[in-house]
Amino acid sequence: MATAPRFQFTEGTTQYRTYKLIGYGILLLLILIVAFAYSDTGSITLFDNDYKISITRVTKAISFIIAILGLQVVAGFTGQLSLGQGFFFGVGAYLSAWLVADHNWPWLLTLVVIIPTCFIFGMAFGIPALRIKGLYLALVTLGLAAILPSLILLDKLEPYTAGAAGKQTDSDLVPPGWLPLDGIVDALHKIPLVGQYFGDGDGLSSREEQRVWTFFIMTIVAVVCFKMVGNLIKSRPGRAIRAVRDNETSAAVNGIGLAYHKTMSFGVASALGGVGGMVYVAELGIASPGDFTQLLSILFIVGLVVGGVGTLSGAVVGGLVIAFVPDWASSTQNFPGVPERWLQGPTGGLILGIMLIVLTFVLPGGIVAGVRRLRARFVRVNPARPPLLNADGPTIDPLADSATVDAASVKT
Amino acid sequence: MELFINRIFDGLSNGATYALIAMALVMIFKATTLINFAQGEFAMFGGFIAYVLATERGVPMWGAVILAMLLSALLAAGIERTLIRPFDPADHLPLVIITLGLFLAINAIAGIVWRFDPRAFPELFPSGNATSIGGANLSWYTIFTVLTVFVVAGGLTLLLNKTKIGLAFRAVSSNLESSELVGIKVGPTLQFGWAIAAAVGTLAVAVFVATPVRQIEPNVMITGLIFAVSAAALGGLDSLGGAIVGGLAIGLVQSIVVPYVGVPSELSLLAAVVVLMLVLLFKPSGLFGTPAVERV
Repeated sequence: MATAPRFQFTEGTTQYRTYKLIGYGILLLLILIVAFAYSDTGSITLFDNDYKISITRVTKAISFIIAILGLQVVAGFTGQLSLGQGFFFGVGAYLSAWLVADHNWPWLLTLVVIIPTCFIFGMAFGIPALRIKGLYLALVTLGLAAILPSLILLDKLEPYTAGAAGKQTDSDLVPPGWLPLDGIVDALHKIPLVGQYFGDGDGLSSREEQRVWTFFIMTIVAVVCFKMVGNLIKSRPGRAIRAVRDNETSAAVNGIGLAYHKTMSFGVASALGGVGGMVYVAELGIASPGDFTQLLSILFIVGLVVGGVGTLSGAVVGGLVIAFVPDWASSTQNFPGVPERWLQGPTGGLILGIMLIVLTFVLPGGIVAGVRRLRARFVRVNPARPPLLNADGPTIDPLADSATVDAASVKT
Repeated sequence: MELFINRIFDGLSNGATYALIAMALVMIFKATTLINFAQGEFAMFGGFIAYVLATERGVPMWGAVILAMLLSALLAAGIERTLIRPFDPADHLPLVIITLGLFLAINAIAGIVWRFDPRAFPELFPSGNATSIGGANLSWYTIFTVLTVFVVAGGLTLLLNKTKIGLAFRAVSSNLESSELVGIKVGPTLQFGWAIAAAVGTLAVAVFVATPVRQIEPNVMITGLIFAVSAAALGGLDSLGGAIVGGLAIGLVQSIVVPYVGVPSELSLLAAVVVLMLVLLFKPSGLFGTPAVERV
C-alpha cells in the first residue's frame, strides 16, 4: 500500500473520540432500526424469495453471539480448541427453561444459577484439558457435546426436561408499563420519507412489544458480556491466556500458571455458553433436545472461524452468519441457475461448510480480518505516545538511557 | 446366559464397524497425526454410492461395494490434493477446520441428494443364523462382519509391509522430514493414506447397514464417528491392531457393560466418551500405540 490512509487519528485526541463516537452512534442506530423497523417481520425480497430479518431471529443471533464470544475466550485467546460449547449452551437453556417454567423465576434471575453452574462444569472440563491437548481435546469435547441430547432424554430427568417433546416456557419478558415502546414506534412512523419503514402505523401489539423488549434486554446482556470479556482480555489474566496460546512453554517459564489460566478460561467460556442458552430459550420459548446436538457445537466453530478467531467483533459476525445463513438458505425457493432440488434440503449446512473451507484458504482471519484490511486503506489509528516522550517527539535518547542503566549495574 | 451371549454377539458386530472406521482414522493419523473429523461422513457417502450402484444401476452387490470403495478412494484423494495438501501438516488448526467444513458440506450434500429418509440396504452376507451357542443365535452377519475386520486388517498390513508405497507410507509416518530428504514424495504418499482410509470407511458403512436391522441415511455415522474415535484412542491412535481391539472392546462395552451396570441405553454414547476421556487422561498412547515423545 503506497498511499497513506485518508483518515489518520491519534489515540486520545478529540478527533479520535469523535471517530469512535460516530462508530458507536451507527451501532446504536442499527439496533434501533432492527428493533423498530423489523418488529413486524420485515423482509427483503430477492429473486422472488422472502428473506426475513424478523427481530426474533436477531435475538436468536444474539444468543449465538454470546456463545461464540465464550468460544473466543477459550479457543481464540487461550488456544484450546473446544468443540463442546453446544453442551454448555444446552445446559444453560435447559436450566433457565426449568427455573422459569417450574419455579416461576424471572428470566434474568436464572443467570444467577446458570453462570456459576456452567462455570463449575466448564472448569471441571478444563481439568482434563490440562493433560489432553490440541486434537485430543477437540475429540473429547466433541464427545461431550454429542451426549447432551441423550442426557436430556434420560428417564430420570424427564420430570425436569420434559423429554423428547421439549421444555416449554409460557413466561415472556413483558415490558414495564412506563416504557412507551408503542409511542416510540408511532413517533418514528411519522418521520417523513423513512417513516413508512417503521411499523404499519397502528402501533405495536402486545406480542410485538414483548419481542422488542426481549431484543433490548438481550442486547444489553450481550453488551455487558462483551464489555466484561473485553476488559478480561486487556487485563493481566487476558495477557496471560494469550501468552498460553502463543507459546505454552515460554508462558510457563514466565511464571504463568498454565493449569489455573486454562481451567479459568474454560470456566468463563462455559458460563458465556450458558448465558447464550438462556437468551436462546427466552426468545424461542421452548428447549428441545434436537437443538443441542454436536452439530450446534460445530456451528459455533463455524461462527468463530467465519467471524475471525481471536477477535471480539468476530463473535458478532459469526453469530449473525450462523443464525441467518441456514434460515435464509431454507427460504430461498428459487435462484437463477440452481436446480430446485439443491434448494430444498440442508442447503444452509452446505453453504456454511463451503464457507468454512473457502475462508480458511482465502481469509484465515475471518470476515473481521477482511473488513479490517479494507478499513486500513481509509483509516489509520496511531497509538498514543507513551508518557515518557513529550508531545514534540522523542527527546530522550533510548540508547543513552540503556547505557546509563548498564553502567549502573556494572558499578553495583 | 442366553441374553448375555446374545449381547456379546451384538457387541461384536457393532464393534466390527467401529473397528473398521477406527482403522480408517488410524491410517490418516499414523502419517500426519491428524484426525479426520469428516471420516464418518466420507464413509456414509461411500455407502450411499454403493447403495445407488446396487439398487439403481443393477451392479451386483459386492461389485457395487468394491466400485464404491474405488470411487470414494478417488474422491478422497482429490479432496486431499485440493483441500488438505496446501496446508502445513504440522499446524493442525486449519486442517481440523477444513475437516469440520467437509463434515458439514458432505452431510448436507448427502441430505440434498438422498434426503433424510432411511433406506434399506441390500444384504451382503447370507441371512439367517449359522449356529446357536447356549441358546443364543450366532448369525452369519456377525461372523462375516468380524471376519471382514480381520481381512481388512490383514490386507492393510500386507499393503504396508510388502509394497513399495506401503514402505514409503511407513517411512513418512515414522519421520516426515527425513523421508522427504531421502526422496519420498510425501504428498502423494499421504494422499494414498487418505484414499485407503476412505475405501476402508466405505466398506465399514456398507457392512454396518447390510442387515435388515439397520438402514442407510445421511446421519448414519454421526454418532458412529465418536464410537470409532474412542475405539481408535483406546487401541492407540497409530496402531491398526489396536483399532481392532479398541473397536471390538467399545462394541462390547456398549452392549454388555451398559445394560448390566443399569445405565439406560441412550447413554451408551456416554460410555464411549468416558472411555475416550479416561484413555486420553491416563494413557494417551492407548493400549498399543507408540507413546508420543515431545522435544521441548
